[in-house]
Amino acid sequence: MLTQGIAAAMPRTKSEAMTDDPERFEELVREHQAMVFSMACRYLRNRALAEEIAQDVFLQLYRKLPALESPEHVLHWLRWVTAHRLIDHSRQEKRRPQSPLDDAPEPAASTSNTDPLLSEMLRDLVAALPENARVVMILRYQEDLDPMDIARALDMPIATVKSHLQRSLALLRDKLSREKGVGL
Amino acid sequence: MNLDEELRSALRREHPSPRFAERVVARAQASRAPKPAMPRFIWAVAIAAMLVIGFTSTYEYRQMKAERASRDAVIALRIASEKLNLARDKALRREN
Repeated sequence: MLTQGIAAAMPRTKSEAMTDDPERFEELVREHQAMVFSMACRYLRNRALAEEIAQDVFLQLYRKLPALESPEHVLHWLRWVTAHRLIDHSRQEKRRPQSPLDDAPEPAASTSNTDPLLSEMLRDLVAALPENARVVMILRYQEDLDPMDIARALDMPIATVKSHLQRSLALLRDKLSREKGVGL
Repeated sequence: MNLDEELRSALRREHPSPRFAERVVARAQASRAPKPAMPRFIWAVAIAAMLVIGFTSTYEYRQMKAERASRDAVIALRIASEKLNLARDKALRREN
């Protein structure tokens, strides 16, 4: 559905025309905004900063569009650029004082009967993971990508992706069982 | 409890604030500065001037070469004519 929407928004050959047509570019932004913004939001735990970074990623996309040839290419490019942008950002931020967690309210909870407190705790724990492991976890559980696709999206060896996933899950299980006494 | 499911739920996608796409498009449009016409014009004039100078200097160089060649040819003819005159004089003297 997603790629069909983008395919309709993109010209068949190249996407050069989209930079001349704001409505088509806006349609493309709408198609991908949830993915880019959520990756940034889960990674940074700061909605305002996440929006700022998502905007920068889309502006970069706007300039890059003539070189992107298909909706799949756009999707892959967006994942790659967002992931690396976030990693770069957090590496720069390490040299500065940590920004506080954003207090903005989360959107309405999903229909699943999950514990909101547990979800919040999981988001905090994921956000506290090392940069590469954090991006891997976000692509795995937010974007539902398998390890092979994550490796492709991040230009990372698949063994490294699997190792990040295993270590992160073990860490989360350990922390959850210690902090909440939850058996996972 | 299934950790995979809990993570999927916790990390589900969410949308940015309303009018996010409009803001992005506005920034993109603003970043598209009008293409500067002057530099292109200057480039065209510079290229035309260089071509004119090139052609002119080539033409002058060729003309100079041609003039020198014609001067050399006149000198050569003069020398040849002098030698022929000398040879003719010698021949006339022997006959006499």
